[in-house]
Amino acid sequence: MTPAATLLTVETEARLRDIGEVDILIGIPSYNNARTIGHVVRAVMAGLAKYFSNRRAVLVNSDGGSSDGTPDVVARAVVDYGAMLISDRQGLLEKIITPYQGIPGKGSAFRTIFEIARRVNAKACAVVDSDLRSITPEWIELLIGPVLDQGYDYVAPYYLRHKYDGTITNSIVYPLTRALYGRRIRQPIGGDFGFSGALAQHYANKHVWESEVARFGIDIWMTTEAIASGARVCQSFLGAKIHDPKDPSADLSAMLVQVVGAVFALMEEHQSVWLDVSSSEPVALFGFQYGVGVEPVHVNVDRMLLNFRQGLTDLESIWRQMLTADTMEGLLSLKDCPLQSFNIADDLWTRVIYDAAVSTQRQVLPKEHALKALTSLYLGRTASFVLETQALTSMEAEDRIELLAQSFERQKPYLVQRWHESAIPE
Amino acid sequence: MREFWETALLAPLISLSERTLALLPNVLAMLIILLLGWALAWGVGLAMERVLRIVGLDRLSNRLGATRALLRGGVKADPSHLIGRTTYWLLLAFAVISALTALNLQPINEFAHSLLAYIPYLLTAATILVVGYLLSNFVGQAVLITAVNAGLPPARTVAALSRWGVQLVAVAMALEQLGIARNIVVVGFGLSLGGVVLAGAIAFGLGAKDLAKAYLEQRLSERTSHQSSDDLRHL
Repeated sequence: MTPAATLLTVETEARLRDIGEVDILIGIPSYNNARTIGHVVRAVMAGLAKYFSNRRAVLVNSDGGSSDGTPDVVARAVVDYGAMLISDRQGLLEKIITPYQGIPGKGSAFRTIFEIARRVNAKACAVVDSDLRSITPEWIELLIGPVLDQGYDYVAPYYLRHKYDGTITNSIVYPLTRALYGRRIRQPIGGDFGFSGALAQHYANKHVWESEVARFGIDIWMTTEAIASGARVCQSFLGAKIHDPKDPSADLSAMLVQVVGAVFALMEEHQSVWLDVSSSEPVALFGFQYGVGVEPVHVNVDRMLLNFRQGLTDLESIWRQMLTADTMEGLLSLKDCPLQSFNIADDLWTRVIYDAAVSTQRQVLPKEHALKALTSLYLGRTASFVLETQALTSMEAEDRIELLAQSFERQKPYLVQRWHESAIPE
Repeated sequence: MREFWETALLAPLISLSERTLALLPNVLAMLIILLLGWALAWGVGLAMERVLRIVGLDRLSNRLGATRALLRGGVKADPSHLIGRTTYWLLLAFAVISALTALNLQPINEFAHSLLAYIPYLLTAATILVVGYLLSNFVGQAVLITAVNAGLPPARTVAALSRWGVQLVAVAMALEQLGIARNIVVVGFGLSLGGVVLAGAIAFGLGAKDLAKAYLEQRLSERTSHQSSDDLRHL
């Protein structure tokens, strides 16, 4: 593991000595985002000038060794404040552009940002993705404002997204996190967060940078750590989240291993927090809510169903080790189900996820195998959700996600009972 | 005639019977050692299993995850039973060698000594086979899951081939360790592996040329959004 002392480059250390202390830190992790990061940096600069003109601020770009000139784009980005009717820009925004150390991934980039936040003693911090196309200066106000003005420790994003955008969030992470920790944070792995300097210090002090947290697991780790540490948590409405399209075939099972693996690992770490939680409560939501058009998402249901059915045949023996007999029976009943009536019901899906969590705790299979074996099940559930909601609007589909979240809450005693049963006898 | 009878026929018989009689105590000793050795091996093996159960080896193994590792490798017996049986077979092997030595016959003595010297190789070969078996199950499972996630129809065949491949390597290594037909094993293994790879390449080239063509076309040409299967964003 890279020790904190060698985490920052000599140049960055020198810049930090020059800068001293700041009020606000905005972090942008990047890797080959030259196409979009200029817009993100300009939005951040405008947001800081417009809403926090009397505060000292630093923008940190933590880069993973981009070869497309991303750091140059960040260095060159400028804002025409006049055109934005911003005239009272008083403080100077500092920029730190630095490579990060450790496993390549967003989490390692954040680790460097947390460390810099600690060094400059930032009061409030925010991190935003570098591939955003819909970020506006208002995002900075909405992510930083609740921390500086309202005393919150953690600000999660609340976006308007297409009903098929963020399907891992909708079908696993949101309902599971809500049922476990009792806080209704709609986008727990949104990617753009605000947090206090104290919380940044808490993150920097953790030794998790060799795990899934160093990659896609960072978002759920930040949210869960915030809740479990008793931090004051809220959400901010940011409008639509539109980001640069990635390769849709980017390894889905690797994403599941990192995100769901991080959720399950956090369940073990924070069992004393979630085992006694029996209901959920809403989380304060800031920002002016409005309707917005979202980009269409094309979905190939046939391909997903084909994968699910192949899983039912080829992975049955593996799934039997992970899931209970009742859950398996429910899944096998879908084997010859025609497309029109194919449906993985909320209760069945809830049990699949709860069984998978317990089997990971019991280590009945190597952890990575168990998590990767969830891919076909997840595709089946996603196909089922698409078939069920194809005629619905995104708002109506949101009601379906609410029903799923309620199913996770309703069946939590089942999880708690199985979790206790799986504790190794002394 | 009488002389012929005594020297040509009777003398060898007398000599044989004398030698047999001289050997009889050794044979008896061998049988006693074998019987006692077997009884001792059985008793110690059983006692070992019981004692290990009483001191909680299985619980400790559970806690350390060793039982799960064995289960994942397809070994369903618990560690106490495994150690008990291993003790039994080791003691029995020593008893057999000691019993053979009791015969006090030059060729058998040499055989017993060489058997004793062979035991380390046997243990190494056994370890290779056990590790190979556990590894083959792990690899087979990983390949199966990956192939299903990639949507490959012959996922189970690919996984079985991977598992057998690892087991084949383990068996070849174990035989090489035992010194059994060393050259034949190495050459045979090389030929088999080369044959499998060549057969696979030919089969893929002939059987999946359209698939490969489509894949390369898709990769090399600029993909437009409507050509992709879907643009679902999971996170």
